[in-house]
Amino acid sequence: MPELFPLSPVHYVAAPLLAAFLLPLVAKLSRSFIKILPGLTFLYVLYVSAVLYPQALQAPIIEQIAGWAPPLGINLYYGPMAGLFASLFSALGFIVWLYSLTQMKQEPLDRFYILLMMLVAGATGMVLTGDIFNLFVFMEITAISAYSLTAFLREDDKAEAGFKYILIGSLASAFVLLGIAILYSYTGTLNLADLALNMDKVPLSVRVIVFGLFLVGFGIEAEIFPLNGWAPDAYSAAPAPVSALFAGITVKAALYALARVTILLFPFAGSMALISILGLVTLVISELAALHQKNLFRMLAYSSMGQVGLAIAALGLFTAEGVYAALFAMINHAIVKGMLFLTVFAMAGGSATLDGLNGMGRKKPILSLLFTLGAFAIIGLPPFSGFWSKLSVLTAMGQTGNYAMIAIVLATTIVEAAYFLRATGRLYLSEGNPAEGKTPLSAIAALAVLAAGILWIGFFPGSIDETLTAGAQDLLDTAKYTEGVLKD
Amino acid sequence: METLKTISGYFATIGVAFTVGFLFMGFRRILTARVQNRVGPPIYQNLLDIIKLWSKESAINHGLMQHMGPAFSITASVTTLMFIPVLRDGNWFQNFSFEGDLIFLLYIMVFGQLGMALGAGQTGNPNSAIGVSRGLSQIVGYEIPFVLALTALMVYHETTSLHEIMAAQDSIGGWNIFVNPLAFVAGIIAFLGMTHYTPFDVPFAPAELASGPPSEFGGKYLGMMMTSGSIFAFAKLTLFVNLFLGGASNLLELLVKALALYLIPVIIGIVTPRFRTEQAILFFWKWPTIIGILSILWVVWMR
Amino acid sequence: MDITGIPFFLAVSFGGAFLAYLMNFAHRFLRNAVVLLTVSASAALLFWLGDETFSMEMGGFVLTLGKTPYSLFFAGIVALLAVPTVLFSFTYMAKEERPAMYYLNLLITIAAMYGILFSLDLLSLFIFWEIMTWSSFLLTIHKGGNATKAGVKYFLYSAAGAYAILFSVVILYNMSGSLLIEDVARSFVLQNPLMQLMLAGTLLFGFSVKAGLMPMHGWAPDAYAESPAPFTALFSGALSKMGIFGMGMVLYQIFLQSPFSLPVRELLAWAGGITSALATLRAIQQTDAKRLLAYSSVAQLGYIVMGLALGTPLSMMAALFITLLHGVFKAMLFFAVGAVYFRTGLTDLNELRGLIRRMPVSFLTVLMAIISLANIPPLGGFVGKWLLYESLIQSDHYFLVIVAFFSSTASFLYVYRLIFSIFLGQEEKEFEHVKEVPFLTMQLPMLALAAVTFITGIFPGIVLAPISSALTYLGFPIQHDMWSMSMLFNEWGNRMNLLAMISVIGTVFLTGFTILYFYRMRRTRYVTTKDIHTSGEVPTENENLTYAINFYQPFERAAHPVLSKSIRAWIDWIGRSVSELGDFLRHIYTGDGQTYAWYVVLFLTFMLAAGSWIL
Repeated sequence: MPELFPLSPVHYVAAPLLAAFLLPLVAKLSRSFIKILPGLTFLYVLYVSAVLYPQALQAPIIEQIAGWAPPLGINLYYGPMAGLFASLFSALGFIVWLYSLTQMKQEPLDRFYILLMMLVAGATGMVLTGDIFNLFVFMEITAISAYSLTAFLREDDKAEAGFKYILIGSLASAFVLLGIAILYSYTGTLNLADLALNMDKVPLSVRVIVFGLFLVGFGIEAEIFPLNGWAPDAYSAAPAPVSALFAGITVKAALYALARVTILLFPFAGSMALISILGLVTLVISELAALHQKNLFRMLAYSSMGQVGLAIAALGLFTAEGVYAALFAMINHAIVKGMLFLTVFAMAGGSATLDGLNGMGRKKPILSLLFTLGAFAIIGLPPFSGFWSKLSVLTAMGQTGNYAMIAIVLATTIVEAAYFLRATGRLYLSEGNPAEGKTPLSAIAALAVLAAGILWIGFFPGSIDETLTAGAQDLLDTAKYTEGVLKD
Repeated sequence: METLKTISGYFATIGVAFTVGFLFMGFRRILTARVQNRVGPPIYQNLLDIIKLWSKESAINHGLMQHMGPAFSITASVTTLMFIPVLRDGNWFQNFSFEGDLIFLLYIMVFGQLGMALGAGQTGNPNSAIGVSRGLSQIVGYEIPFVLALTALMVYHETTSLHEIMAAQDSIGGWNIFVNPLAFVAGIIAFLGMTHYTPFDVPFAPAELASGPPSEFGGKYLGMMMTSGSIFAFAKLTLFVNLFLGGASNLLELLVKALALYLIPVIIGIVTPRFRTEQAILFFWKWPTIIGILSILWVVWMR
Repeated sequence: MDITGIPFFLAVSFGGAFLAYLMNFAHRFLRNAVVLLTVSASAALLFWLGDETFSMEMGGFVLTLGKTPYSLFFAGIVALLAVPTVLFSFTYMAKEERPAMYYLNLLITIAAMYGILFSLDLLSLFIFWEIMTWSSFLLTIHKGGNATKAGVKYFLYSAAGAYAILFSVVILYNMSGSLLIEDVARSFVLQNPLMQLMLAGTLLFGFSVKAGLMPMHGWAPDAYAESPAPFTALFSGALSKMGIFGMGMVLYQIFLQSPFSLPVRELLAWAGGITSALATLRAIQQTDAKRLLAYSSVAQLGYIVMGLALGTPLSMMAALFITLLHGVFKAMLFFAVGAVYFRTGLTDLNELRGLIRRMPVSFLTVLMAIISLANIPPLGGFVGKWLLYESLIQSDHYFLVIVAFFSSTASFLYVYRLIFSIFLGQEEKEFEHVKEVPFLTMQLPMLALAAVTFITGIFPGIVLAPISSALTYLGFPIQHDMWSMSMLFNEWGNRMNLLAMISVIGTVFLTGFTILYFYRMRRTRYVTTKDIHTSGEVPTENENLTYAINFYQPFERAAHPVLSKSIRAWIDWIGRSVSELGDFLRHIYTGDGQTYAWYVVLFLTFMLAAGSWIL
């Protein structure tokens, strides 16, 4: 097949975008296509992953768009790290589609799937691109579809949440664009690899300013405290499948962008320490804020922010182990938090409160079990995936001698356990009648895939070791990146 | 032959203990009567009571535990006696005293009270229950100074064996009452509590609780309990003689020393009113405990 | 797979759990058979367990499993209690909901305990530790209602402990580059003393939470009171002992050479002593049978910690002996209280009364157990306390003797209250139809454990033999002049002959009892408990003659200065404060878009200002 039709990283972005454009047309043919087409698209992209990712582990695939060689042309950099994220995003997209098949009933469905595919395409573009302006464009695609999805349910409070998201999101775009403009004015290039080599043309003070702009711009999307005000509202307003994608995709893409940009363009010790500290602050504040939260989606949102904070804290170490741990934490969070959002939605609907969970152990035993599994995994109990990711974060911190960081992370874990177990406990209150209503098979199947992921990583953490190690090396080895991109 | 001698020794010990016990109690009744300007019963009155009780028929019972109570009680008394050397040396009256030590005695001594409490519990009489509640509470009071005193002695002599403690007090000057008077004071105050004489008789408070735990016991049950009480009184006195007064080489010496010790709770009992339970507990936790602690410090300093 | 290997052993233990879960969908007899077979098989496999160690790599860490004499002793306790526990569960849980979950979690808990014991490295210990914690959490909340709160509390305390352990483990791993306990111990001595103190301190703190050492005992009363009774027996009897296992390991395999070892152990011994005294006082106050037993467990664990911390051969023997015995008699008590609950639906001491003739076997069980608990000869409890007191005196801890003796004497109060309120006193009409529990599944476990307390009281050598090899492994050479099959010796050479003791006690008791029984009781007739001496007034049918409420009012008055303060309340206050802080922080997220925009702008300004200041 590759001979007939050469696969390329471009397909990651092109396929969902194409499908998104085609969707209104095929909807005219038959309504059932609306549901099928996104699934086929994600399947195709997963197939691309299956073929390309093993190659990327050997050597990064660098794709030039329209035949212009960098630094003039735009290039895609499909290395182990980008490949990992792209594959993860496609997989999550597929699972969310599977879940939405039966759980998403709010019309207009065609627009929902269009936005969904644009979100995935945009986020994947962010991790693939080697051009900083292109990065900005993809970020905008992601953000705009995210705004629309937030307000998708067309209720007052959802619209308000969407508006807040737009307000803060446009600040992010503005700052990033400003940063890019400043860099361009000094270096005259937009290619990341080229920029990395030309950063010495930029005065130090300007570099600090630009770093600040990028930090704030990407930080808003990456939910760094105190830039994450939009997040609790958006998470609780958006339909749960979308919240799962926010937690799994948009945040991760922004985080990738932040990490890539920082390490390529601003590799000073101070910037890294700052990121680490911001991560810890985010972690502590978000977890504490979740403690008293009665609305489940908001609770999960705070928890998401906390988990991302944990990943950022590990990332900020910028050691091989730190990045490894951060990647592990991100993957774990994408799977587990995705599952939690979807489970809660299947169990208690869109406006679930803690009370809504009461007695679910009787009403929906399988979903309750899945929620329990998710809660245990996110807290980091062995033998589930969260344990290994948290352990790798802790050992990474231990290796740099930051024992205080370990203590903070562990202390917040107790807080995390408090609110997650309070919710878990409610499942097993003896209220309600046995087995009320059935959960559709597609939803269960989607959740089962995620649960299997949790257990698989939990029992065989070694199976993703190679992936993570390669990803971490890819991110940290800037020389290889610039040489690879600019070799022609 | 040797076995027969040993076994007859056990019975002799029990006989002596019982006789001395009821005579001492009769003596107390006379003394109390004289102080209250009465004549009082003959000194062997308790024996008459016990004989009377043993010959009575009971018609009713309240269940198995009521039977086990007095049996527990006599088990504790006799076992305590058997593990205490009655005399300093010689083959007579040593019984099982080489086989156990003070820690064992501490625990076997309370066994009877717990057994009694269980027996009293099954009768369903509220007076018994109240008495048990008070009695057990009071144990927690007086055991503290008692253990402090014992610890002081055990640490001083570096042994937990009664024999060795006795052997170390080979002259009058070596008696523990003189070597460690503080321990003696703490121990004897605890002893006041153990006798359940006034001021520490609130668990049995005759006028208030209808004699408390034994309310429902009559006939042979009460007979067995009184027998046990006589033996136990002797055992406790012997223990204190051994601990503080150097033990005794013959029965007469033992009687004199025991009587001297016995007079202390009796006389204090005659002249004092009754403590309430919490007063008694707090009393034991205060002065005797402080004295006991001082006695241990004294021992530590002396070593 | 080698059937004498630890992998096979753990595979059976964990595999049985999942098999039982699946079998639940087939038939409950099949499920019960699998459950019973699993625990008995793992108990039996303990005897054949081979010596070889087993390593595997997981997530970049090498996990090593293997047995030591020390862990084998604790595994024996787990096995000894696991079998009666599942047996007791069969009937007890038949009425309860979600049996499949119950057995799944129960077997996972048991298997995880074995896993903890057979871990030779700190990480696998931690993994099994956490598995045990979450499975026991799920068991604790099994009943729903208040149990949920109790369970969350239990988990949070446990998490605090577990993460203290993990903190140390991560740092130790970083220092020694290995997780094996022996490697860790080797590099531990090279650290500076303060670091050693911190690491050992956090480890000990972590393990002591599970042991319920004050001030971290707050979870125990609630969790024990709310969890299903058969599991509570295992919970208090075996699960909390994992804390003791860990503390022993830290104190004597890792921390022993440190200059801070002695002061820390002294401190621990006192913590144990104070725990036992305060928890005993609390137990006296309780009106719920299971809460009473819960506080009693905390107190008994205090003794064990005391013995463990002293670190003389005799005290270590005492600690391990009490560890076993406490497991046995506390399981008996929880079973018996569970049996009463099974028949009456009550655990409230103010409501229960007079069940002795309705449930004689349960009564006998409680009787044996409380004699053991109160350390009264001739049952096993006495041996443990004898060893403990001798070791306390001979290691010059005179004041600890007093503290220990105080709590031991005060324990008479609560054990009497327990047995009196449930079984003795007035017999009431409402309990007239209460029957004794079934023999095979409920009486048999109780009686079997009662037999253990009796045998260990006379022949403690049976238990002291494995204890000796465990202690030899920990570095305490136990000479043969310290014990024999039924003889105990202290360090001053004084002895305690248990056979002489049982002969005297047995003879006198049987004589006294025979006299009364055969010459009296058989000729008398049983009358109700209303037919008593009441100074001539005849009580009517409905007159309440029970004295059970506020049973120890005078004592509580005396102990008021201590009882009026509560450590748990302080810890709860800390928890509440954190929670309120969270609530306050939540207000950062005002829900107002303008505010959020201001945050962004201010943050950027701050960053730039900070950046320019640094430059």
